[in-house]
Amino acid sequence: MDAIAITGLVKRYGDFSAVDGLSLQVEEGAFFGLLGPNGAGKTTTINAIVGLAKISGGSIELFGHDVVSDWRAARTTVGLAPQEYNFDRYLSIRDILIFQAGYYGQSGPAVRKRADDLLERFNLTSKAKEVYTKLSGGMKRRLTLARALIHQPRLLILDEPTAGVDVELRLELWDFLRELNRGGMTIVLTTHYLEEAETLCNRIGIIEAGRLVALEETAALVEKQTQGDVLAVTLDAPVRALPASLQARGARFEPGSAVVELEGIAPAAIATALGEFERAGFTIVDVGFRRANLQDVFLELTRR
Amino acid sequence: MNALFGNPIGLQTLIKRELVRTFAIINQVIWPPVITTLLYVFVFGLALGSRIQNVQGVSYATFLIPGLIMLQVIDGTYSESSSSIFQGRFMNHIQELLIAPLSAVEMVLGYIIAGVLRALFIAALITVLGALLVHTIPLDWGLYLLTITLVAVLFSALGIIFGLLAEKFDHIAVLTTFLITPLVFVGGVFTSVQFLPPLVRAISLFNPMFHMIDAFRYSFTGHGDVPLATSLSVVSGLTVISVTIALIMTARGVKLRT
Repeated sequence: MDAIAITGLVKRYGDFSAVDGLSLQVEEGAFFGLLGPNGAGKTTTINAIVGLAKISGGSIELFGHDVVSDWRAARTTVGLAPQEYNFDRYLSIRDILIFQAGYYGQSGPAVRKRADDLLERFNLTSKAKEVYTKLSGGMKRRLTLARALIHQPRLLILDEPTAGVDVELRLELWDFLRELNRGGMTIVLTTHYLEEAETLCNRIGIIEAGRLVALEETAALVEKQTQGDVLAVTLDAPVRALPASLQARGARFEPGSAVVELEGIAPAAIATALGEFERAGFTIVDVGFRRANLQDVFLELTRR
Repeated sequence: MNALFGNPIGLQTLIKRELVRTFAIINQVIWPPVITTLLYVFVFGLALGSRIQNVQGVSYATFLIPGLIMLQVIDGTYSESSSSIFQGRFMNHIQELLIAPLSAVEMVLGYIIAGVLRALFIAALITVLGALLVHTIPLDWGLYLLTITLVAVLFSALGIIFGLLAEKFDHIAVLTTFLITPLVFVGGVFTSVQFLPPLVRAISLFNPMFHMIDAFRYSFTGHGDVPLATSLSVVSGLTVISVTIALIMTARGVKLRT
């Protein structure tokens, strides 16, 4: 069964279409990454799934429950960890979890036990009686996740789950998410860290301007959309413009960066390409090869 | 029915959450109405009131107490429900309710029931003060409870409506400053409309606060300036309209769902 089945989703704000005919399915048990540049429609799509945005057209089903006509059953299946902290400032950390379960129709000793277990799991037990404003950024991020899990959803949606956390906590959260997924939970995440999506997700959808531009298994997507290895040429100063000969080879650079990348270049052509840098007056300080990754796919698809 | 009332635990949780909020800010919500009432009773009831013979056949202090209770119930209920909704929108924690399996009916009921409980608590405290200071208690407890409940439902619903419409805290105060407070003060808290010039008395009949105060005072004195059925009909009608608008706005997700 599909955990999420989106068919022809349209979300308009006046004349502007934030999501424009999006269709995608996420299988139960998948670890799915929804990627796209800022303003592509990722958060709008998530909001439509969880009921924060009203759908203008199309449909969304969660485990077979339509989010409009069968909203109560649909909402019970989802836990949302939003990017922005939106905790209730009048409740203690422990009560934030217990009250959230209550909103989902769950109460009693089992819920209190689950809240205590989650606080323990996320190292928040010592803060259980505090209000959320007393927590550090990393603790708030962990609490966001604990709150999304308290009612035992089948589908966990994470909007930028590791934004603003340090490397150690990020790795810790990754391990925890993998564990949840191995336990059968379907996970959907949006992230700006493409490494995160590539490491965690077994399937990726990329949207741009409210439309799906790619939907593949992660490994297949990287292989299919890129042309092999990437030659990275580091110059002695940030690049402003490239000569036509290098542009013709598909050379690209980020504004302000001193690194120029050429994707899928044949080994025999490397020397010629490097010569073109020298002829254009650039000074090369380093040359390296790396495997193509999700970032290359992302840039390729969203720059078209 | 399931679409409207399928989550009783969710409804109870929302009511409990609202009461937790009330007692977390007790110095803003519970004590000010009690202290203000004490001051009114002292200045108007005991000091000035001793110079007034009687109103509607009772002492001025006895006449004053029900008006003061209604004043605090109206003001407290509106400001609490509007600020709770607005703060939830402003801080985004209302999203916890919006993504949960709670219907618009359950959400509106949650805020309203919490508003009624809060109003009954404030009214009880002031009633005790009235009993201790001026030895007056309600004659008709049924009418006492009915009127407070109707008025608290009405102003909780109005609070939801304006809490949804407001773009900043200042907007919430507009209704209090320019409508609620003036209408309550000229609506018979401090004096019977029988003492007013005929024209002003006629205009007062169009003031909804007058009907709320008059019906409630009936529960203490057994008398009113207009028939009880008239006042209760006006209050009930306004309550139904207000709750209907709050329900429609919440169901449509006005300023809640994009």
